[in-house]
Amino acid sequence: MSAKVSITINGQLYPATVENRMLLVDFIREVAGLTGTHVGCSVEGRCGVCTVVLEGKAVKSCLMLAVQADGARLLTIEGLAQDGRLHPIQEGFWEKHALQCGFCTPGQMCTIYDLLKSDRRSDEEIRGALSGVLCPCTGYVHIVEAVKAARTKLDAMSPQERQKFFPL
Amino acid sequence: MNESADSWVGKSIKRKEDVRLIRGQGQYLSDMVVSRMLHLGFVRSIHAHARIKSIDTSQAARMPGVVAVITGQEFKDWASVLTDVSIPNLPGQTKRPLYWPLPADTVYHVGEPVVAVVARDKYLLEDAMELVDIDYEPLPVVIDAEEALKPGAPLLYPEWGDNIIYHQHIQGGDAQKAFAQADLVISERFQCHRTGAQPMETRGMLATYDEAQGLTLWLTTQRPHNIRDLLASYMRLPHDRVRVIQPRDMGSAFGSKAPFYREEIVASHLAMKLGQPVRWIENRMESLMNVGQERDQIHYVDAALRKDGTLLAVRDRIIANCGDGQVGIYAGFAMPHLGAMYLVNGNDVAAVDIDLTCVVTNKASLTPVRAFGSYPGRFAVDRILDIAGRRLGIDPLEMRKRNAIKQFPHTTPVGVHVDSGDFIGALDKAAAALGYPAAFRAEQARARDNGRYLGVGFCMGVELSGVPSEVLVEMENTPGYGVATVNVDAQGKVHIAEGDSPHGQSHETTFAQAVASELGLTPDDVYVTYGDTFSTPFSTGTLGSRGASYTLSAAVLAARALRPRICRIAAHLLKLPPEAGQPEQFRFAGGEVIWIKDPAKRITLREIAHVSIVAPTKLPPGIDPGLEHTYHFEAAASGMHSCNVHGLTVEVFPDTGKFTVLKYVAVDDSGLAINPMVVRGQIHGGVWMGLGNATSEEYVYDETGQQLTATLADYHMLSAMDMPREFEVIHHDVASPHTPLGSKGKGEGVPGMAPAALANAIEDALTPFGIKITDLPLKTEYIWRLLHPDQAAAKV
Repeated sequence: MSAKVSITINGQLYPATVENRMLLVDFIREVAGLTGTHVGCSVEGRCGVCTVVLEGKAVKSCLMLAVQADGARLLTIEGLAQDGRLHPIQEGFWEKHALQCGFCTPGQMCTIYDLLKSDRRSDEEIRGALSGVLCPCTGYVHIVEAVKAARTKLDAMSPQERQKFFPL
Repeated sequence: MNESADSWVGKSIKRKEDVRLIRGQGQYLSDMVVSRMLHLGFVRSIHAHARIKSIDTSQAARMPGVVAVITGQEFKDWASVLTDVSIPNLPGQTKRPLYWPLPADTVYHVGEPVVAVVARDKYLLEDAMELVDIDYEPLPVVIDAEEALKPGAPLLYPEWGDNIIYHQHIQGGDAQKAFAQADLVISERFQCHRTGAQPMETRGMLATYDEAQGLTLWLTTQRPHNIRDLLASYMRLPHDRVRVIQPRDMGSAFGSKAPFYREEIVASHLAMKLGQPVRWIENRMESLMNVGQERDQIHYVDAALRKDGTLLAVRDRIIANCGDGQVGIYAGFAMPHLGAMYLVNGNDVAAVDIDLTCVVTNKASLTPVRAFGSYPGRFAVDRILDIAGRRLGIDPLEMRKRNAIKQFPHTTPVGVHVDSGDFIGALDKAAAALGYPAAFRAEQARARDNGRYLGVGFCMGVELSGVPSEVLVEMENTPGYGVATVNVDAQGKVHIAEGDSPHGQSHETTFAQAVASELGLTPDDVYVTYGDTFSTPFSTGTLGSRGASYTLSAAVLAARALRPRICRIAAHLLKLPPEAGQPEQFRFAGGEVIWIKDPAKRITLREIAHVSIVAPTKLPPGIDPGLEHTYHFEAAASGMHSCNVHGLTVEVFPDTGKFTVLKYVAVDDSGLAINPMVVRGQIHGGVWMGLGNATSEEYVYDETGQQLTATLADYHMLSAMDMPREFEVIHHDVASPHTPLGSKGKGEGVPGMAPAALANAIEDALTPFGIKITDLPLKTEYIWRLLHPDQAAAKV
């Protein structure tokens, strides 16, 4: 069984006919060709590396079907930078050495996007949010530092400037 | 340009790798798609030990979209996978398990591949695999290593007559004499469970074949060259027709991607047979059932001590549960072997007597993981120091100071060469960071008055800084040297090609820092490629902390080797007197080669490179074109190590057995940190693994051999919430005398420090209760049982 879907990813519309059982992560990677989003635990939903932003919320794209995202707007790691400028989350990760192999990084960044958009941004809330994505390389030490650095940068911005980095 | 700031070594610069990785532009194995690509999947054994009675593949084969279904019949005329070049050639008694890429008639562990299915679509593939019908006759199962040694135990390989894959007696010094002179003998049984690593990117491979070039295998591997050689040897193909490539990016490994696995044989064979590209991406359940399982040792330790705390000798009977041993290069027993060699570790002990028995069982084979084989032994020996210290009334810090290696170089009784380090200084720094003893003991006493239980624990030890050929050739049939080709291109940019396969270790950045500093450039001028057997020199791979010790040293020395030629050309082009063409007359800075005698005489490396490569007519007589050098670096030492101390404080809640690490301190010796931020990252991750392995990660098998932890929900790796809120890394570097920059490798051994430090701290916190920790993992329930033996017994 197939269905027609239209999903907007990073501002571009991707219309396609897909099998009903196609996972959203496969749509992102294989239909849209956006391979920045990764698969780590093969649809258990535990590792979190496939996390993307759907209508402003972090979701694990291996736990959704593409048909469930029909008509929705998504943001992936490829869509974080705005107008050629890196997102403060990306800058934080780079400056604080918050990634080693880089495989979980897309999931970490999309999770943090959701967090930093909200007002639940205390140090413990950062850790709480990060607990949804596993990282065997860093021990999370530098990731927590990176998120704090991004938080500081965003706090120093005007509301309009800040808004630009949260299109969803 | 600032000429004085021409060394990039020691600077925490941002990584070059991240330019692509933070934008989602990495290229991992599963990102590769080629035309006509087929998808491979494996139907795996549901039994831990069984005879295959029959396999019905007809329904699967008939399914539209299915291209091939093969079983062990496909390989029945092939040789067994483990040959002389893919099994360790160690001094003990070795037996060799016979196995094939797919089993002919018997399965040995749950998760073993039995049938390979190839389909045009990965969803169809899942459907097709459901249709394969395998009829098994279950055989008796043995899971526990000590049970496997008993007479009458089920035998995995009946032709052996027992279940012992490897046995070795390792001895040095006069243990008998030491025990006769001892004031105190401590005898304990320590046990470490099966745990290890799960890299976030599972294994994967893409095999292509054409008649002209032969087989190309893109593979998630830590050692592309070794795999190429083993695959070519096993499949009887010449090297020029087998190319193995590690993709540009790989989602970590921690040792688990170092072996020669059977899946790469099956994928390669199918690509050749079908004439179409074949890709296999391991799923997480397959990974949890087959990969990253390590540790799993029992140690019966007798330690001889003097009254003053001096450890005179250690006797140890080690029983390692190797699983079925069916994995190339390691065969399940290379890890416990090296772990036994490192048993006394950072302690200066005069005599060692070890009996190592490596046992096969119906678990998956052990595969390497960070702290290769030594995690259980380090737990045992560092526990001994605290247990003995308590008996003798000697402080744990003092016990370590008394026994630490103090004279360097040092050779342990079993021949491990420790080149350089400073344990005493590191112990002092760790203690100071934890306010130990005075401030901490006062806080501990106040807390106890208020019904709270705080504790402190230390661990001290050496970690590999690469593995010398002397060790690696017999253990893994491969050399330990580092090798790199440094090539100055026509624009004066520098290309480093290495045969290793970094995947998070930051070679692109740290190698660029080191080589840029040699040639007066910036890291932006240097680019690194790796991991392709057709374009990089043969090398052993990224493992054993070889990067900053061996491979980086090779790159530095290759760059240095180019300097005389560059200076000859510079002198010629600058029209300096002939005697000026000596390297010591020039310095390299700001992209220029500058005559020290008259700094106005200077020329860019770019101009020199242009002449050397594009306009060789302008070269001085007798100088060949090109600026390229390949250096093989073999350290003039039989072993290089870093000497480290970890310490932590913990609060324990005796009612429940729950505990929380309050502060973790790692005092680390990196010789010379090329990029201190990168070094700290390696330590953070290593400690994460060490703590997770010690507390929550466990591969659990039931008595029938079913693996009960085949999801990440069950195999619990620590999250950000589980990590200590205070975590300090203190650099305490002692340069290695054997590397050109003094640098040491970093990362591999780090997890080995955590379990003893944590157990020592928990026991210290619970001193009023007098418990003794001998087993891992340190789960809440285990601590509770130690605290409440009566209640625990009542509940059983």
